[in-house]
Amino acid sequence: MKKKSKLSSVYLVLVFLILYAPIFYLMFYSFNSGGTMYHFEGFTLDWYRELFEDTRLLIIVLNTVIIALLSAVISTILGVAGALAIYYARRRRVKNTLLSLNNVLIVSPDVIIGASFLILFTIIGIKLGFVSVLLAHIAFSVPIVVIMVLPKIEEMSTSMIYAALDLGASRWDVLTKVILPYITPGIFAGFFMALTYSLDDFAVTFFVTGNGFTTLSVEIYSLARRGVSLNINALSTLLFVFTMMLVVGYYFITKRNNRPNGLGVKQ
Amino acid sequence: MKQLTRALIAVLIISLILIITVNKLNSAQGYSGGNTLTIFNWGDYIDQDLIKRFEKETGIKVIYETFDSNEAMLTKIEQGGTSYDIAIPSEYAIDKMIKENLLIPIDHSKVPNLKYIDPRFMDLSFDPKNKYSVPYFWGTVGIAYNKAMIGDIEITSWDDLWDPKFKNQILIVDGAREVMGMSLNSLGYSLNDTNEKHLIEAKEKLDLLTPNIKAIVGDEIRMLLETEEAGIGLVWSGVAQEIMWENEDVEYVVPEEGSNLWFDNMVIPKTSKNPEAAHQFINFMLDPEIAAQNTEYVGYSTPNKGALEYMDEEVISDERFYPDEELTSKLEVYENLGKRMLAYYNDLFLEFKMHPK
Repeated sequence: MKKKSKLSSVYLVLVFLILYAPIFYLMFYSFNSGGTMYHFEGFTLDWYRELFEDTRLLIIVLNTVIIALLSAVISTILGVAGALAIYYARRRRVKNTLLSLNNVLIVSPDVIIGASFLILFTIIGIKLGFVSVLLAHIAFSVPIVVIMVLPKIEEMSTSMIYAALDLGASRWDVLTKVILPYITPGIFAGFFMALTYSLDDFAVTFFVTGNGFTTLSVEIYSLARRGVSLNINALSTLLFVFTMMLVVGYYFITKRNNRPNGLGVKQ
Repeated sequence: MKQLTRALIAVLIISLILIITVNKLNSAQGYSGGNTLTIFNWGDYIDQDLIKRFEKETGIKVIYETFDSNEAMLTKIEQGGTSYDIAIPSEYAIDKMIKENLLIPIDHSKVPNLKYIDPRFMDLSFDPKNKYSVPYFWGTVGIAYNKAMIGDIEITSWDDLWDPKFKNQILIVDGAREVMGMSLNSLGYSLNDTNEKHLIEAKEKLDLLTPNIKAIVGDEIRMLLETEEAGIGLVWSGVAQEIMWENEDVEYVVPEEGSNLWFDNMVIPKTSKNPEAAHQFINFMLDPEIAAQNTEYVGYSTPNKGALEYMDEEVISDERFYPDEELTSKLEVYENLGKRMLAYYNDLFLEFKMHPK
């Protein structure tokens, strides 16, 4: 590999600075005793204390996490099944059509998805609240999981499956002992993608929350109208740290997966 | 496979623990009981201590939810699927909700504290006889200006804004009614004027203002004025109050030609499951002492005459937020001008926005 020029590393640092500056700016002011976002007066942890005393906000945070975890798990299961179905579609035309239909859902604007869910839920009489948000999140996460898992299946050699069948494995055995272990990294990637999509989704959630149930992004948006109080900064800081931990956790999981394992399916 | 199953079980266990925690928290707050009241309000627009007090006094548990614009609130209520017992929209949205039959009439016999509301703020065009709504807060549209930044000039009228001294100094809110209203008022017309000649005249006058305008902005106007990005802003009184808390150099004035008078009123949506509790809540909020405490927290102007007695002399004698009779007689509520006229207002405003600087 060519030696990296100085210019390119400066560029890299600059880009990361620009990307992270707003987040650190926000985190920095969460310790401001002055109460505003442009004049730092002194260090305080008051905003964090206020945060933990606000049970309503705490419930909203927990609800957001519950929705994210459940929708990620369910959409991962559905997405893996979907990806397998697309993989096993015999005719090329069918396969491409299915894949395109899946991709359309990813690129279509959130606002439209949200509005159509709102209309759908009111027509079939699902009350807006926990269930409606969960269903909506599952729906927009499934295509993402499919996209994350499919390449992993495609790269798997078919001879492995035939070998397993030849050796007397049942269809179920092939699925659980060959395919799933092989695509595990893809499944985890899909799960974490779904998790983060659900955690930070605003547009879709905005339409389908109601009856006292709300998620963090929607709540922050409502609060921001009257000027964000610094406990939102404190909350964002905690969320950022939490996400960082997720990313680090994900890193270690993938690292462990890349070590050769007993199944001998490493490329 | 083993790894996947383990991960799946871990996630499910975590979710279960979280769900149990939320339920515990909810029941500790009493949200799970039957006797609840769901309030749909602007973000940070009530003193939360009062909600706790209401819960303690009546045994009704309050679920509190917020919205960020009248339009968002309207969509949620129109679509159904929600059961808000109290909502607090602005007057033009109330007008719309009444026409679309989305509100339950308020039983005045259940709201005896209605007598404390200043008669000036009752029986207005958007809700005759206050059949459907009760005033929560009110305010004006006016000019916020930074004394330190624009020099020792006192702004008293809309016309002052056209002064060439203020080149590139003025921020205005992105609202057709507000901006057109400013121009109409400065010409001596009503801000509900429907005479097309007057409207075109107003638009042409606005075009002359463009050299002075720095930007047309949304809610961020508050922060921009606080941080002295511009010296002058066309704002609502509530926003001005918040700016003045943060920046002492800022002054607010309701121009002498007259201006807009706006309201946020409490209403009971049709979808309400507990109108009884909603009436109790409205009556509770109208109690002079409670209204005074809430006003102190929110900082907008209260329509509650009784509450004024419990408030600081300094606050209620502040002519900027509690203007005298003479000025209030010049304030007008936005009337619903009908779809065609509103579109015309919007068109003119759009043309003004496109006017080259």
